Amino acid sequence: MSKIVIPDSVLKVSGLGKIYGPITDGAIERTGSHVGTARDYQTGSIVAAWDVNFEVAAGEALGIVGESGSGKSTVLRCIAGDIDSSAGDVRLATFENGESNLLSLDAATRRKMRIDQVSVVYQDPAEGLALGVTAGGNIADPLTAAGWRNFEGIRARARDLLQRTEVPLDRMDDIVRSFSGGMRQRVQIARALANNPRLVLLDEPTTGLDASVAAGVLDLIRGLLEEFELAAIVVSHDFSVIEMLTERCIVMHHGRVVENALTDQLLEDPHHPYSQKLVSAARA
Amino acid sequence: MTMNAVYNGSNLDSIVGEDPGIPFALLDEESKREIRRALLHAVCVPGYQVPFGSREMPVARGWGSGGLQITLAIVGKTDIVKVIDQGDDEGVNAVNLRRLVVTSTGIEESSEVVESTIIQSRHRIPEDEMINSHTLVLQVPVPEPLRGVERDMRELARMHAEADYSRMWVSLYEDKVRNGVITQTTGYPCLVNGRYVVATTPIPRWDIPRLHDSQFLTLFGAGREKRVYAIPPYTLVEPLTFEDVPFEVEQANGARCRLCSSSESFLVESPGTNGDAGTWTCSDTAWCRARRLK
Amino acid sequence: MGYAAARGGLTAIRNAEDLVRTLRDMDESEQIELDQFIGRLRLLVDRIMGEAGMWEPRLAALAIRQAEGDHIESVHLLRAYKSTLPRIASTEPIHVDDMRLLRRVVPAFREPGGPQILGRSTDYSARMLDPRSGSGATASLEPEVATHVADNSSSVQTNTPRLMNVLRDMDLLTDRRRTDDPEPFDITRTPARPPAPRSARLSSMARAETGALLNQWYRNILGPDGYLHEVTLGEVRHGELPIRIKHPYTNGSVSIGSLRVTEVEAIEDLNGVDEDRDRFDIGYGLCLGHNERKAIAMANLDIACHRDGSKSSLEQSILLTTDGLDSAGFLEHLKLPHYVTFRSMMERKIAVRNARPSVQKGDKA
Ligand SMILES: Nc1ncnc2c1ncn2[C@@H]1O[C@H](COP(=O)(O)OP(=O)(O)OP(=O)(O)O)[C@@H](O)[C@H]1O
Ligand SMILES: [Mg+2]
Repeated sequence: MSKIVIPDSVLKVSGLGKIYGPITDGAIERTGSHVGTARDYQTGSIVAAWDVNFEVAAGEALGIVGESGSGKSTVLRCIAGDIDSSAGDVRLATFENGESNLLSLDAATRRKMRIDQVSVVYQDPAEGLALGVTAGGNIADPLTAAGWRNFEGIRARARDLLQRTEVPLDRMDDIVRSFSGGMRQRVQIARALANNPRLVLLDEPTTGLDASVAAGVLDLIRGLLEEFELAAIVVSHDFSVIEMLTERCIVMHHGRVVENALTDQLLEDPHHPYSQKLVSAARA
Repeated sequence: MTMNAVYNGSNLDSIVGEDPGIPFALLDEESKREIRRALLHAVCVPGYQVPFGSREMPVARGWGSGGLQITLAIVGKTDIVKVIDQGDDEGVNAVNLRRLVVTSTGIEESSEVVESTIIQSRHRIPEDEMINSHTLVLQVPVPEPLRGVERDMRELARMHAEADYSRMWVSLYEDKVRNGVITQTTGYPCLVNGRYVVATTPIPRWDIPRLHDSQFLTLFGAGREKRVYAIPPYTLVEPLTFEDVPFEVEQANGARCRLCSSSESFLVESPGTNGDAGTWTCSDTAWCRARRLK
Repeated sequence: MGYAAARGGLTAIRNAEDLVRTLRDMDESEQIELDQFIGRLRLLVDRIMGEAGMWEPRLAALAIRQAEGDHIESVHLLRAYKSTLPRIASTEPIHVDDMRLLRRVVPAFREPGGPQILGRSTDYSARMLDPRSGSGATASLEPEVATHVADNSSSVQTNTPRLMNVLRDMDLLTDRRRTDDPEPFDITRTPARPPAPRSARLSSMARAETGALLNQWYRNILGPDGYLHEVTLGEVRHGELPIRIKHPYTNGSVSIGSLRVTEVEAIEDLNGVDEDRDRFDIGYGLCLGHNERKAIAMANLDIACHRDGSKSSLEQSILLTTDGLDSAGFLEHLKLPHYVTFRSMMERKIAVRNARPSVQKGDKA
């Protein structure tokens, strides 16, 4: 695996691991890419991710690819603090001067971090949005959490974000439940950007959308990543998404990172046998 | 299993007999002490809802049992009590609660704010000026200001602990967007001392400014929900509203009290019949009467 | 002190109270004596004592008579009275195996260890109105019944084996006995709020309004958001327990009487992914007096709440919505004057109307 040196990384993930079920001696050896399973036959535990290391620089988008169940979402959710991790150290340079391990924050601090440092865009917009609240209200939520108290100021900011994410402004005061899937996803992205976060985590942001809508959302994300100089992690099992959004990516297989490469290099010349399989399947 | 009391036969007979022989201020001393401890806690952490072992009172839960417990826990032999409901000393509930306080303590009652030391109220703050020597006891049916946005008590506890009130703000935002105005009526949510959001019993918005930087101590008692909270004198009390959406008290559009012709008090409407226009009177009956006598 | 106003409110209240007394006490029939409630409305007295959390048949009878049989009102009278009393002592822990059995049913086995005692029960009686009931003409002369009545207990010894122990010996019971021995949560001194210890849930249910608990159980079986799994009953017991306190001077254990309880152990089939699937678990119910409906509902809700592991709102429902005085008081408070709040509501209705864009106002016109 070629080592890539990242200058000025914003995010540094070291030794991240997550095991569902009892953690016993030898569980790591009994699972992984080389064994061909993430499930420890002795205990039934799932080693969903183990020994995951990577860095992301400002303005850079890192991709995570791999088949279904390989641990992509797990890695993302551990970093976001949606689930507790079993091992690892994650530093965000802009959060508490990079002195805190994001994985060991108490719940209150973690929520604070999620207000203006780290945002998540979930595959299912219902997870990231309050469906019974208007599009504007969904954006007002992180804004008021960050201390915004001016009604017209909040309206203006929401309008601006919805415009950038191409949500029709005349729908701003409608509840999100009345929106189509693509529109919901755009509102979710608008909301995620509300407080200019340093890091955006996107989990399959276009899965479930039809091809033309997906293309629009991808265009949008790419534009926003550039415009805001965001650090981002994009999880997808779809290489076209990864190709479009990221310069660099990691490949996961049964909970382990099997390759860490520049995206175009990976697509041209994958090293790991599993990556080769994955790329050739995608090319077919 | 714990037995709460042990009687012998003769004791029981005295209970079953004519005179129940109730203690001063109804509650046993232990209970009063416990409630006072909770109140001290509440005063020290303004706006924080302090759980307490609410006792069953001779009035039903929801009928002022929380306010009554506070009054009975703090009342001394020289106190003078005023009790109002909707601003009226003569409302049946006010009469009943006052009767309980007075008969169980032997203290004096008054309808005059200036004479009183403890003012127990449901839904109003008296119009008269209240000063340091007054304690206002408000009866609270629903102490949880966030219940409209969250039902789960574990989550509610977390939101208060972290001062995570953004969903409350979103509900105000949504209200304004949908209705053009903030439609919250009584019990307007306020931020106390910059820290805790409280439910202001349901007093009208008219009374909210009185809570801010007041000279008097306000104690809130929710008997059914088993919590007390407090706004100590000279405490910052801010109704939750946006900087550019002024907090509005109730408007009566130039209406005047038909008895004292006041337009500067909280007025309640009596609807007209047969197409006649309705009339207005002061909700605070003692204040209205004093004005007429002047 | 100055009290200028006419005292119309007080007069009205006094008149209402007078009317209650007159209608209740001046009836032509004879006054019902307290002993008659205790002797002839036994189940009602038991239920009231259970919901009041107070074992005192004479006071319960008095409360029922005063409240004209309104059971929530009766419980209210007893609990409000209790608020005036100091707490003199706490009893020593009671071992439920010391129960003198009046009834024991074990549906889970035909021949459990120890006896099945049908005892006093109408479970298998045809529900037919009987004009002779209560007249004395129906009393039995069967010697066995006569002994039961005379002793107010069966001849059965205490320490009847429990199904729970049988299952445990067969290694069919998941073991969640704890070795620390925390004081039980006192719901009369600290409000029980989720997440609460099991003892708080059990005490709340023991004092709950019987109908509310029954409904809680049934809506969790059949309602749209049910969390219950139907249990198999291991033990349904009704019997008498001795009460002892530590003597304040001698420190010796002194018996101060006894009370009756209903006790239920409910066997639950564990089938969850994370559960001990080759074993059973047990839910527990115990309440004052003879009230099997309540104890069974309690046992099933106890185990359901444990299995739920505070994932759902079941615990909050149990702790916060089953108390009869809470729910009845809050419902009835709607009868109080609300004209200040209503005035404020009307004012906002007008404000909303005025804030509407004029186009819409035009629509209405
Ligand atoms: N709560 C859970 N309990 C047990 N195992 C879990 C749990 N959540 C996820 N897993 C397991 O962890 C592994 C990784 O799951 P993850 O959701 O991270 O996969 P993924 O790569 O995001 O897949 P997909 O592309 O399908 O979204 C899977 O084997 C999954 O079954
Ligand atoms: Mg996934």
